[in-house]
Amino acid sequence: MYSLKILLSTLIFIYGAFILLMYGILAVLSYRSIQLFRKHNSFTDFNQLLESPLAPGISVIAPAFNEGLTIISNVRSLLTLNYTRFEVIIINDGSTDDTLNKLIKAFELIEIEFAYHERIKTQPVRRFFKSINIAYEKLLVIDKINGKSKADASNAGINAASFNYFLCTDVDSVLEKDTLLRMVKPFMTEELRQTKEVGEPCPECGHVHVTEDSKRVIATGATLRIANSCEVEEGEILRVRPPMNPLPRFQEMEYVRSYVLGKVGWSMMNSVPNVSGGLGLFDKEIAIKAGGYDSKSFAEDMDIVTRMSAYMMDNHQQYAIRYIPTTQCWTEGPPNMTIFGRQRTRWGRGLSEIMNMHSQLIFNPRYKKLGMLVLPYNLFFEFLAPIIEFVGLIIYLYLIFTHQVYWLYATILLIFAYLYSVMITTLAICWDQLTYRYYRSWREVMGLALMAYLEPFIYHPLIMFFALRGYWFFLTGKKTPWGNMQRQGFGQPTAPFPKLK
Amino acid sequence: MKKILLIEDDEIMPKIVARILPSTEYRLEHASNGKEALQLLEETSYAYDLIITDIMMPYANGFEILSKIKHRDRPIPVIIISNAGNEDMIMEGFKLGADDFLKKPILPAELLIRVKKLLM
Amino acid sequence: MSQIDNPTLSASVETVSSYLETAFTSVKAATRFLENTFLNAPITIQIAMVFIIIAIVTTALAYISILRNRYRGYRTDKKLARLCPRIDNLLIDEVLSHPSLQQHVPPDEIQLNIAPFEQLPLHRRWARQALTGRIIHFRRNVRGNIGLLLRNLYMQLDLDNDTLKKLKSRHWEKKVQALTELTSLDMFISDVTILPMTNDRNRELRAAARHAYIKLSKNEPFKFFDIAKEPLLMWDQVELFRTITSTENIAIPNFARWIIYSGNKSVISFCLKLVVYYNQHNAVPAILRLLETKDHYLRADAINCLGKLRARIAEDKLVALYSHQPIPCQIEILKALGRIGSGEHVEFLKTEFLHATDFDLRKHAAKSLVRNQWVSDHPGDELLSSVSQENLRILRHCMNPLIKY
Repeated sequence: MYSLKILLSTLIFIYGAFILLMYGILAVLSYRSIQLFRKHNSFTDFNQLLESPLAPGISVIAPAFNEGLTIISNVRSLLTLNYTRFEVIIINDGSTDDTLNKLIKAFELIEIEFAYHERIKTQPVRRFFKSINIAYEKLLVIDKINGKSKADASNAGINAASFNYFLCTDVDSVLEKDTLLRMVKPFMTEELRQTKEVGEPCPECGHVHVTEDSKRVIATGATLRIANSCEVEEGEILRVRPPMNPLPRFQEMEYVRSYVLGKVGWSMMNSVPNVSGGLGLFDKEIAIKAGGYDSKSFAEDMDIVTRMSAYMMDNHQQYAIRYIPTTQCWTEGPPNMTIFGRQRTRWGRGLSEIMNMHSQLIFNPRYKKLGMLVLPYNLFFEFLAPIIEFVGLIIYLYLIFTHQVYWLYATILLIFAYLYSVMITTLAICWDQLTYRYYRSWREVMGLALMAYLEPFIYHPLIMFFALRGYWFFLTGKKTPWGNMQRQGFGQPTAPFPKLK
Repeated sequence: MKKILLIEDDEIMPKIVARILPSTEYRLEHASNGKEALQLLEETSYAYDLIITDIMMPYANGFEILSKIKHRDRPIPVIIISNAGNEDMIMEGFKLGADDFLKKPILPAELLIRVKKLLM
Repeated sequence: MSQIDNPTLSASVETVSSYLETAFTSVKAATRFLENTFLNAPITIQIAMVFIIIAIVTTALAYISILRNRYRGYRTDKKLARLCPRIDNLLIDEVLSHPSLQQHVPPDEIQLNIAPFEQLPLHRRWARQALTGRIIHFRRNVRGNIGLLLRNLYMQLDLDNDTLKKLKSRHWEKKVQALTELTSLDMFISDVTILPMTNDRNRELRAAARHAYIKLSKNEPFKFFDIAKEPLLMWDQVELFRTITSTENIAIPNFARWIIYSGNKSVISFCLKLVVYYNQHNAVPAILRLLETKDHYLRADAINCLGKLRARIAEDKLVALYSHQPIPCQIEILKALGRIGSGEHVEFLKTEFLHATDFDLRKHAAKSLVRNQWVSDHPGDELLSSVSQENLRILRHCMNPLIKY
């Protein structure tokens, strides 16, 4: 019994120490990445991509379901992105309101015959619309039968996309004007090292199998932020402000930490686990070959990235997924507990699905970093964290009741974990401020940074609870009443609290 | 006295254009984005003799403004000024009825001549 | 304390000092307690205690850094907001409206009135940097004599000293900044300064030095195409393309030279793009030879280039090659036939359109048929009425002027 206790406590200690160490490493790596970003920023002229005939084409894909209120200004905002070679594909996913009619009227659309190639299977696509006004010639509207998920609608968009890259976003998110310019750059600074087949064609199939030792960027992402208290006018951000409401404000803090510190740090190790469903630029060829989005998944954004990575590994091609630290997308965060709970439960369910579906990749040395680092990390420190924390809490309570707790050391460990998590969050906000001075005054920044002190008591238990609820729904296979167009999963909840004993 | 509307989101361009076009002959007004431009046009019921516009701007791009202008009974001549040297974009502009295209950086003399020609 | 007469005050001072004393002793006790705890604790607790201190210090430092960063940024913004309008007005009054501009005096001979600029706080580096930035910004908007005059101003105010100083900096990003400034101002740099940088350890600096060399060097600007061993990244190509196509007075060589002899694939594919831009028809034989290459991405680029050059002599060869090409090259061949549009291979396109299994092949065949004006010439063709539902849809798609791709 005694030795078991020692073993258990050592394991828990190692677990906790590893999480904290990982966050420390991520903080250092993301700092380096941001320093590099600042250096590049001091001389990079993105506008030259605008004038260039060599700019790669991008299809912007945005599904819309009952967005009648804001659809016109949102589409208009997408059409005025700063880029030359791009198209905007809006998929009306069987809206029951006037979304489609409004689009038809505002953009002078007519129905056309479109050579639609269903490379990824989706719910039937009914009609295609283009504008008779050349001013809107970049716009393509697809009317499709509701597929009960954003993934299904996005797949229809990918099928209709004409360019080699596609940007997936939500129609109600607000994008910065330079989003395409900035997000396509990682593809271009690594692209020529991408795998190109050279050598003799194989006599059996006629294909060339020798590949150059090089990396191909398959996806890029950027930071997302909460738009709840920002001043937005006709799809343009006028003034950035951290959310007034505490719940979205916690989320903003969490986003900054999970993108600026988390994803950017992982990007330095080329081990990004997930490109947010709210904003991601993908290599279309690989996305299609990997099978597109999974319309049944609850975390289709992480799922597609995992499958694309696995596809690259299966075909012995080196790949990279990059994150840029600047905020390019502003999205509406769940304003109240009901919606927030649903969102996080969905993320929890999605994460357990991913772990279940891709279990054959985990600890599979054939998948190198993906199998040995990315997925195991997500299994142990994202997926299992809420469970371990919960179990830890129970043990803790048991020990308290049986008077086995040595209060002095317990308190020291708690203070340590608390202050460490505050430090990580504060550093994330500090790095974020180094990329760009978001918000109007130092008071707003501090207002955000001080939320870190409340997080472990209020926000973190909530995340834990909803994640566990998601796991439970996954286990019981409970039918969820919300199907369509829930906001998609971004990052997983971060900075779990190790309960040390 | 001819009235010219310049639609351009670069803050310097209006100052430069104002210098190039003598103020004794032209009255220059400036809108810094698509929305402002459309508002100005509506308020004055398109009472301009010439419009000089950029292509890429927030709220509404140059093409949209161009198509609005050219769909009226009395079309106003339009010059597009842009740093996008992409051939496709220039063609699109002309398809929509743009009267002239100038690539940034502009030659002052050239702008003056084109403006004069269109306002003859 | 002995000077204090007021008894109540002296009493309260005493209480305070006694409080202080107790506080002091309790702090002492606490320190001793912590020290003992630390010394007696197991190693994990000791680590935790050390990290508590580290976390507190780091958090405090992060706060200070945020505040400092914001304050500095705020001050710079404010200073610039005051300075920039002044600079703009001066530039407009002194340079843009210079009387000699109207009298066709060569810009080199125009003496600018610098005196008003001296009133700017140019003894400060940030102000000089702002002025340089503004001059470059102006030059992005106007060229011609005004552009040259702006450059004169830059030199007459000795702003180039700053740039040259940056060029000698230890930091690579400063050097790149300096090179971009010099290239956007068309300043001459000696080969001796720039050549070492083209071999620098840092990729970005190498690329910037190369661009600067092409733009500013008087001797064989395209020398780098001969010696470049590493691949030109897409981004570098964009920058190079702009540099080459925006430089006035540059002798454009015949790019076929590198298409034939360069061993660097990215240089070849970049030269193909330049050939299209400058419409160098005499490069066609070289490109035809490139069709033999084993790298099918490069071959696809070559076919694409032939199509854009509308090289009619290539048509037969492309059609002959077609059957044993991978799909990307087949697509490029179909596209090229559409671009060349001679109408001679309509039958071939028709067969591909009707019988190819790959969707993209059929689509591009249909597109090229439309571009070859076959459909408009044969509106009643029996094929058109007998094609499958899907092919008809493809054809209608390609015929619709509203759809571009």
